Amino acid sequence: MARNLSMKDAINEALDQEMSRDPTVIVMGEDIVGGSGSPGEDDAWGGVLGVTKGLYAKHGDRLMDTPLSESAYIGAAIGASTCGLRPVAELMFLDFMGVCFDQIFNQAAKFRYMFGGKAETPVTIRAMVGAGFRAAAQHSQMLTPLFTHIPGLKVVCPSNAYDAKGLLIQSIRDNDPVIFCEHKALYASETDVPEESYTVPFGEANIVREGSDATIVCYGLMVHRASEAAETLAGEGIQCEIVDLRTLSPIDTDSVVESVENTGRLVCVDEANPRCSIAADIAATVSQEAFSSLKAAPQMVTAPHTPVPFSPALEDLYIPSAEAIADAVRKTMAP
Amino acid sequence: MNDNVFPLGKEDLLKAYRTMKTIREFEERLHVDFGRGEIPGFVHLYAGEEAAATGIMMHLNDQDRIASTHRGHGHCIAKGVDIGEMMAEIYGKITGACRGKGGSMHIADLSKGMMGANGILGAGSPLACGAALAAKTLGHKGIGMSFTGDGASNQGTFLESLNLAAIWNLPMVFVVENNGYAESTSVDYATAVDSYADRAAGFGVPGVIVDGTDFFAVYEAAGEVIRRAREGGGPSLLECKMVRFFGHFEGDAQTYRGEGENEYNRENNDCLKLFRARVTEAGVVDGGELDAIDSEVLAAIDKAVEEAVAAPLPGAADLTTDVYVKY
Amino acid sequence: MNGAKPVVGIIANPVSARDIRRIVAYAGNMQITDRANIVLRLLAGLGAVGIERVMIMPENSGIRQHVVRGLERSSNLGEGRFPAVEYLDMPISASTGDSIEAARRMQAAGVAAIIVLGGDGTHRAVVGACGNVPIAGVSTGTNNAFPRFQEPTTVGIAVGLAVSDPKLSEIAFHDNKLLEVDIAGHREIALVDVAIVAERYVGARALWRAQNFKELFVTFAETEVIGMSVVAGLLDPVDRDTPEGRHVHFDNSNQPAWRLQAPIAPGVIETIGIESWGRLLPDQPIAVGAHSGSIAFDGERELSFTEGDHPTVTLRTNAFRTINVAACMNIGARSHLLSDQHGNRAPTSTTTQPQLEEPV
Repeated sequence: MARNLSMKDAINEALDQEMSRDPTVIVMGEDIVGGSGSPGEDDAWGGVLGVTKGLYAKHGDRLMDTPLSESAYIGAAIGASTCGLRPVAELMFLDFMGVCFDQIFNQAAKFRYMFGGKAETPVTIRAMVGAGFRAAAQHSQMLTPLFTHIPGLKVVCPSNAYDAKGLLIQSIRDNDPVIFCEHKALYASETDVPEESYTVPFGEANIVREGSDATIVCYGLMVHRASEAAETLAGEGIQCEIVDLRTLSPIDTDSVVESVENTGRLVCVDEANPRCSIAADIAATVSQEAFSSLKAAPQMVTAPHTPVPFSPALEDLYIPSAEAIADAVRKTMAP
Repeated sequence: MNDNVFPLGKEDLLKAYRTMKTIREFEERLHVDFGRGEIPGFVHLYAGEEAAATGIMMHLNDQDRIASTHRGHGHCIAKGVDIGEMMAEIYGKITGACRGKGGSMHIADLSKGMMGANGILGAGSPLACGAALAAKTLGHKGIGMSFTGDGASNQGTFLESLNLAAIWNLPMVFVVENNGYAESTSVDYATAVDSYADRAAGFGVPGVIVDGTDFFAVYEAAGEVIRRAREGGGPSLLECKMVRFFGHFEGDAQTYRGEGENEYNRENNDCLKLFRARVTEAGVVDGGELDAIDSEVLAAIDKAVEEAVAAPLPGAADLTTDVYVKY
Repeated sequence: MNGAKPVVGIIANPVSARDIRRIVAYAGNMQITDRANIVLRLLAGLGAVGIERVMIMPENSGIRQHVVRGLERSSNLGEGRFPAVEYLDMPISASTGDSIEAARRMQAAGVAAIIVLGGDGTHRAVVGACGNVPIAGVSTGTNNAFPRFQEPTTVGIAVGLAVSDPKLSEIAFHDNKLLEVDIAGHREIALVDVAIVAERYVGARALWRAQNFKELFVTFAETEVIGMSVVAGLLDPVDRDTPEGRHVHFDNSNQPAWRLQAPIAPGVIETIGIESWGRLLPDQPIAVGAHSGSIAFDGERELSFTEGDHPTVTLRTNAFRTINVAACMNIGARSHLLSDQHGNRAPTSTTTQPQLEEPV
């Protein structure tokens, strides 16, 4: 039975169900219990934004607070995953990957290839991404392109509660290392979420809106901005098709190309910075695969090539807006 | 013969010698073949340090996981990785331990508990902590063990791992192989307080120093730290003071060394010579038995090289496989 | 004193006391910075009583760096707290060999005394090489019987007084026993104990497997120390001055004549089977009973021997000199070596009567 659930609660439920189903699933991270060893409540926080709240009461020591040593515990999660566990490690903010990137991109990502196909590394690294929280340059980035670039990693970024639950369960069961990106501005957004356990497969984009005039390719929070833009454009008689990528590695270029073949126009939206972004990647792929279908040059709508600013006035300008997306679509429609 | 003359029986003494000799000859052979330009890339040789890998690994089983270093051939051999597959891997052949995709610095065999040599210094410590965590969580008696050199023991990963292993009381052993040089830089320069054993104490982890050129010293001390980990006594650190017979990598001119240093070490700090003298003088093993092992080992290395040379290279189709389990 | 200002040597070898007893027992952990601070405290003590030059064994493990930092800071502040320090110019092997080499060089340089930081092993190394130069010890070792733990500042003061004030020369120095082991024409010494054990390998050196103990010789047998000396001490104590030692035969059978509980390592109290014990008289070589095994000197296995080596052990008295810190400080106090008179008023001594309260 489905209920209306926030993305935060959907993620919590996914972890809960997987921990109940599989005793090899453990969860670790900074403050994910949030009170270990302190005089007050043991699970005071349940994650810095409360995503893992209540799980400690149910699963006890399989949830582990970690010291502020990202290299050590992300590395330990990766090591443990090669030894029979399915750890879910929370990196809190994806920005912190700078501290432990070696463990992710030189170790986890490469084991299988370097070891000739003999290693399996079923680790899931959850982290918050995205701007909008006035958290400034080191707690707000959309670093999905960095991970997507690395062979051996899978990268997931859900746009809604339903996908979040199904994709997280898939991530935990997946035998490759997965970077699971949770947009903090979406934690409160609600959709219908089935109570029972289910998976959403990787590499299958979701057509969240059908349309015949232009294809908007996006993921995460940008799906919502694209939907607003599409609503506005529908009033102008422009019908947009919105492709929510859901997973960036593997990436469903087939669905994108198919859509562009129908619409002839492409707008790639990405909250990441523009150079070597997912948007740039999609634009390049479509140009190569479906050039003859294009009626106009593909457009990219991304954050500017700057760090994320602090001042609300600037941060609101930084994040791609529905208006910018609509403008980009209009540009592809111009004769 | 008194049964407590040595801490291990004759069979095990011969096994230890065979392992040390195999490592030595494997590395000596690579030194020659690399010099002749027959091996791609670069290799870091373990010769001189055999007593450490062997004395430690004699106490481990396949369930125990080790995370090795760039200088990993000795760890691989002592942990039971097939030398034929290792040699083929170093030659970049499809028959290699990693199908030619890893090379010297990434040899792994998870079925033997060998989590991989590692090109990133200090990266193995967190991984081995993960192995120890898995052993503890799954409730088997395995341990995690990381190897770092005196150089990599200055990495944050190593220090963070000591703390993590201590707070989680992991069945973990940190082995520091202190051969005096981080590549070319002396430990005296690069490490403020150059006792890693003492440094561990700062994390609540007991640390001991042992003569890494003495098989029996390593064997005895390793037995104790490993037993401690298995019995729930938590992590400890074993620092082996040792000598590296070759340079950091093959082709290293080693001008940073003192005059006559390598010759002195070969003469006075050769763990194989010391082992042979000890067991033959005690009358437990006959020199002829060791000579026989020497011949067998040389033949095995020859065979490994011949097979590696003859083996096919990976093909274009192999380039894009083994990236993911499923994509 | 012959007019030249006395020079004191300090040997602080960082390699000491990091052995397996931290794992198999509960041995301590004296960090490098602690050792360096001990050196600085010794220097302060020496400087306070007029020692102007100190010679120190060099090492590369961090003690020197820390000491030099302390000296520079003091010099920058113009304190004049410390004597001039010179490090011996010698090759560093980062082994016990450094202690031996430094002791030899200090003796050759004519130092008046050597202060040793370390345990029984380091003291043994120094005594074996320093000839008749008196030593003073500060315990930093893992398992010590020979050096006692004393505040290094005080040791520095006492040594400084001992070597520079003729008034102290009568009582400042103390003669000690040692054990000589002859094995196949080779001579070794031990300051406290020589243990014969069954293991034929040196291995991790320390002694902790009581079932392998065979025979024990000690120069003194105290009841309050840790290690092998206490084994004899708990059977039949003998102090550091009496000209005899003890000789114990162990019995590892199931039915030993005696069973003894003894603290053979920090936190490790073992039940040990004893066959017999007796006095060990000076200058009488005693043949080791076992045909093969290893010999541990002051608690560390060091030599293995086999049939035909025929090791013997001999107790020697008046074998080397140590500085009696307590005696130096007492005489120093009584002779006002650390106090001097200012102004006209003679120093007075008053006796304070205890104020006894009426019993309630």
